Amino acid sequence: MNINRLRSRIKAFAAVKFFTVTMLLSGFAFSATHNIVMTAEYVANGQPAYKMISHTSSEGATPDYPVEAVIPGPTLFVKEGDVINIELTNNTQTRVGFLVPALSGLSGNQLAPGQSGNFQFNATKVGTHVYGDEGSHLTGLFGALIVDRQDGRVQSLIEGDGTLIPVNQSDLKKEYVMFMIGSTFWGAEIVNGKQRPLWTNPTLGALLNDTVRFHILAIGHAHTFHLHAHRWPDETNFEALGVEPHIIDAKILDLPFDSHTFTVRAGSGVGTGFWQYHCHLVSHMESGMAGKFHVVDPAAGGTGESIAGASPNGKIWPNSLGGEPGLVTFEVTDEPGSFFRSIRSDTIKGATISPSLEIVPPGSSVHFIMSETKGVHTITSLLWPSDANDPMHGDHRQIPMDQTKAYRGGGIVKLETPGLYVFTCKIHPYMFGAVIVDDPNTAGLDLGKAIDIVTGINNLPTISDLATRLLRTFFVATVQENWQDVTSSQPWHVKYPNVNVAIGDLQGNLVDNLPLKDVLESRYGQDITLAALFNPVTPGVGEVWINTQFEKTAGKTKPGTITVLDAATWKIKRKIALPQINMNHPHNMWTNRDQSIIFQTQWFDTKLTFIDRATGALLHNVHVGDTPSHVMTIPQSDVITVAINGENGVIGIKPGETEPFVMMPTQGPGQIPANPHGHWISPEGTIITPNINTSDTGFYDSNTGEIIARPAAGGNFPAGPHPIAIGMGIDKVYTANLLDHSLSVYDLNGNPLSTINLLADYDPISPTGDTTLQDRDGDGLVTVGVLPIQTPVDPTGRVVVTANTGGTITIVDTSIDKVVAMLPCDPGCHGANFGAKSGGGYYAYVTSKFSNQLIVVDPDPNGDGNFSDAAIAGRISLVAGGDVPTDDKIASLAGTGGQGILAVPNVYNGWVQHLPAEWRGGLTPAQLNPVQ
Amino acid sequence: MARKISQAFFLSNTYLLRERSNNSLIRQKRLKCGFAGILSCALLFLLGSPVQAQELHKIEFAAEKIDGGYYAYRMRQHLVSDLNGGNAIDVTARYPDGPTIPGPTIVIKEGDEVELTLYHQFDPATPAHEHVSVHVHGVHYDIESDGTLEYINHFKDESAIPVMSYKYRWIAAPGTAGTWPYHDHNMLTHNGAEDRGLYGAVIVNPASNMTVMSSGNSRQTISLDTVAKDYVLYLFDDAFAGTEIDRATGQQSYGGANPALTAQKNTNVRFHLIALGTNFHRFELPGYNWPEPGTDQLVSAKTLGPIEKYVFTVHATQNSIYLDTALNNLLLGMRGAFLVSE
Repeated sequence: MNINRLRSRIKAFAAVKFFTVTMLLSGFAFSATHNIVMTAEYVANGQPAYKMISHTSSEGATPDYPVEAVIPGPTLFVKEGDVINIELTNNTQTRVGFLVPALSGLSGNQLAPGQSGNFQFNATKVGTHVYGDEGSHLTGLFGALIVDRQDGRVQSLIEGDGTLIPVNQSDLKKEYVMFMIGSTFWGAEIVNGKQRPLWTNPTLGALLNDTVRFHILAIGHAHTFHLHAHRWPDETNFEALGVEPHIIDAKILDLPFDSHTFTVRAGSGVGTGFWQYHCHLVSHMESGMAGKFHVVDPAAGGTGESIAGASPNGKIWPNSLGGEPGLVTFEVTDEPGSFFRSIRSDTIKGATISPSLEIVPPGSSVHFIMSETKGVHTITSLLWPSDANDPMHGDHRQIPMDQTKAYRGGGIVKLETPGLYVFTCKIHPYMFGAVIVDDPNTAGLDLGKAIDIVTGINNLPTISDLATRLLRTFFVATVQENWQDVTSSQPWHVKYPNVNVAIGDLQGNLVDNLPLKDVLESRYGQDITLAALFNPVTPGVGEVWINTQFEKTAGKTKPGTITVLDAATWKIKRKIALPQINMNHPHNMWTNRDQSIIFQTQWFDTKLTFIDRATGALLHNVHVGDTPSHVMTIPQSDVITVAINGENGVIGIKPGETEPFVMMPTQGPGQIPANPHGHWISPEGTIITPNINTSDTGFYDSNTGEIIARPAAGGNFPAGPHPIAIGMGIDKVYTANLLDHSLSVYDLNGNPLSTINLLADYDPISPTGDTTLQDRDGDGLVTVGVLPIQTPVDPTGRVVVTANTGGTITIVDTSIDKVVAMLPCDPGCHGANFGAKSGGGYYAYVTSKFSNQLIVVDPDPNGDGNFSDAAIAGRISLVAGGDVPTDDKIASLAGTGGQGILAVPNVYNGWVQHLPAEWRGGLTPAQLNPVQ
Repeated sequence: MARKISQAFFLSNTYLLRERSNNSLIRQKRLKCGFAGILSCALLFLLGSPVQAQELHKIEFAAEKIDGGYYAYRMRQHLVSDLNGGNAIDVTARYPDGPTIPGPTIVIKEGDEVELTLYHQFDPATPAHEHVSVHVHGVHYDIESDGTLEYINHFKDESAIPVMSYKYRWIAAPGTAGTWPYHDHNMLTHNGAEDRGLYGAVIVNPASNMTVMSSGNSRQTISLDTVAKDYVLYLFDDAFAGTEIDRATGQQSYGGANPALTAQKNTNVRFHLIALGTNFHRFELPGYNWPEPGTDQLVSAKTLGPIEKYVFTVHATQNSIYLDTALNNLLLGMRGAFLVSE
């Protein structure tokens, strides 16, 4: 059926309905019927939005709506008892509906692209209600339906002299509709029936002593609204009850679709000024969730005009000239690589290649919305143009952007200074979103002369190896097609944007019009032949469990599988996806004493999952807290501990139970949350955490919860070392510092012993060349470990194997605490853990996020205790053949995302001693007693 | 806030947290307000004629850095006088000597005025500490006393800086009765560093000197003169912090994290809750209920978001434990004793 015919049928249907309903509601003397025709469209930056086509009312007058699609959508004003007929045409590429959860529940009919449909609501409930779409309600398809009383009475206000004043709708000079979405206000105002979009974080204008009504609405994430210097009665029925009003100036909005409406007299008792309104969650304040209520005195010439904020229809690349300040939007998602995904990436990806790259002119804004993730995150500047936070030129109050705590929401920031900005999440530091702020009047996209990096590196020329290496890392990490596939016969090809850029040379000059692709290909190669797969000659013992965290399967929306490898044959035994719980980013595992249950964290979620080791079956799925990262048992007590990476502690679950019984705080009360990631536990029960948010290593007594010590981590660079994983020797602790490119070494009481610099042989500043890597520390070796992550010590305490994201494996001999060997790894090299080698000794198993193989490292092939001959013993594909048992069909990104690893039996010191007899058999006496 | 680490007894068998509250269901009692009740409630609100003289509070605060990465306000001086500054009485002895988290509770009444001078006492060489301020909620002040940065108010930086103090003027005008947070708005970020310890409360007692209390299962209008204690409890992201005030003497005491609150049996006590930070909370006090403001109901649990305030009065009859039952806050040990002695 064509759309026009469908429409006319709907109209006919609506007319009949109208008649029937009018008859039914005849008891309501004043009830009106509203026939509203709307469309769902895309605005210029790719966000979906509702647009008013027509509104007729049996009552007569209807508002003067914006002609364009707007966010929030057109504000619908009706009266109690009215009937609302919506005819919606979906002009977007996804299914769209129209819900009013307060009137009709949480789900409804959804229209396919191109379809039209009819929605009807009875305005049975006075109040301000959210309307919106089920799927895109955080990205633009939302608006307000305001149901007022028939008698026109609205919320009373409190005067500056304390008098409570009843207010009628006709008294209102202005109404503001303000949606709290993510960490951004989306606003509109209504003046004398004329509606005007005010977009993001607007300045709301009012004349002194104007009576104005605020409609605050929130969807999804929880907020508290606060307006400076004004107060109002909370929305209770205090007048009818004859009790005192509750006078407030801040209000929680924590329901999935929530609203709060109040009326104030602008400036009453406090006068004129720019009065800030904001969300009062500290993390939301820090991510930009604020605007101004500007009260002016008409006697002093003030007009009370509102000023719109950054607009999705404003200036963004390639339409960078003319118009209002623009806005680009990144959706924060759980999709591998596209963790910050430009909402218009489908339309600009031909040019940008990466879905996580945006381009705007100076003065436009970038906006983040955590719309497709179940984790908590931060929006944190990783690097920015050196001028951007200069108090004289830039905005040092917004750049670098950061928040003290991980949270749910989003962020918004205006970018004034040309150059490259990269944002990350502190909790998940391989989430990247990049924005090039390009001055349209210069040749080539502006990468800026120099960048500052969060670790305290300032004025790094963009021509330097480190700057272009980071840029290359960005294009590898954020483009799924750029990931290595070891099963492909093709060489590894990395796609870069075919654009010219302007970068800064070592002398501080801007070099125009360099082809970016040529620069990166000449520096880092192209079409590289991957090393061949081969099995280790000597088998391992037992099984190797691998979190192929990005592998996608058909039966769930979230990524991640567990790949179980038989170490005796090096064949994949099983893939476990757990579609019944939509397992989301399985990140790290441990096992119980008898090796029968695998504990699995879901790093972008809130759950710890218990899996039957022998069958791969789901046992329990337990809420443990925001963004649980690593799991490990306490060797003596078998208590399961989980580092709650998005929060401020480590939870404990007693053996045999599934619910947490305690959370051990990783910091003192009221201190900045530590956000521990990859902890370790000593045989005596000391819990050691890498505290990513507070740049230290925490030592805690698991019996008392007492903080033993919190020594600083890192030291290569001035700031932000980002300690991320712990390895434990016999008498020493090793912390891998991701952004400091170092290992911090401590004794068991937390006293610092040394820092191992993994960049000693690297020259980050010069342009890439023959001397970028050379022996600079005079040890006769050229080694480098860029972005170290997992860093286990072998069960005997003699050797540390570190997986470095930059694509190397470094080997540290603990007797001298120096790097003694380096091995090649894949891009996004991440996980490492030891398992027993058949007949004695150990293998270190190493995984990489942006490839699909397991690298087996033999740290001591000849068993002589000297680790300088460490070697790759095997390379094993993590792609399952059709005969491998699985609980869900592999759909894409086969075998990729390698992160957590667990070898079973668990042969680490502290645990191996407690293995049951059935698992002891395969181990040598030395493996059973690793510490002699 | 208490350098004392909350002792979680992580694995100890004596750990009691398993008693995960069965009290989490809100018990709501709807009480029909009789005709007399309506009248008295309405009168309470409308008859705001001050029974006590209006007073001027001249207050000096210092903002200081303390161990553990915290910042705190310290009361330097508090003088209470008539509105013209006459008959001044020095009440500084009500407060502890050093900086405290939470900051000093400023107790005033409807009609009073406050002049608060803030002194910046951080390391002047640290640029991040350039500004510190006091931004107050609820009461009246003009734009010069907003305690915000020029970046926000387009007027001026309303901060104490290393070389200059800043004076804020507040008027507790009629209609501002209630308990309101104050906090820094200018340090470290463009919206301040309240989450690092720079916060406190202003209690504006109503001119009527009356409040509503729960006693058992009934609501009762009482004179504030019968309230023996004020507890100002802040719900932080991982702990409670609090101040206990003896209303007879005005003496304030600080119990550190998750403080034990004390009361005499069969006295009336008032709780002032203020949430701060990024997390949401669910407050419970098992065995007690209280009047829900703005309604005629009694409730026994309250969900609070950052910077919301909530005040209720109960008749102390039995020991209890106040606690936060939201998400992991309970597991973290967000709870403290409410000790009612004979």
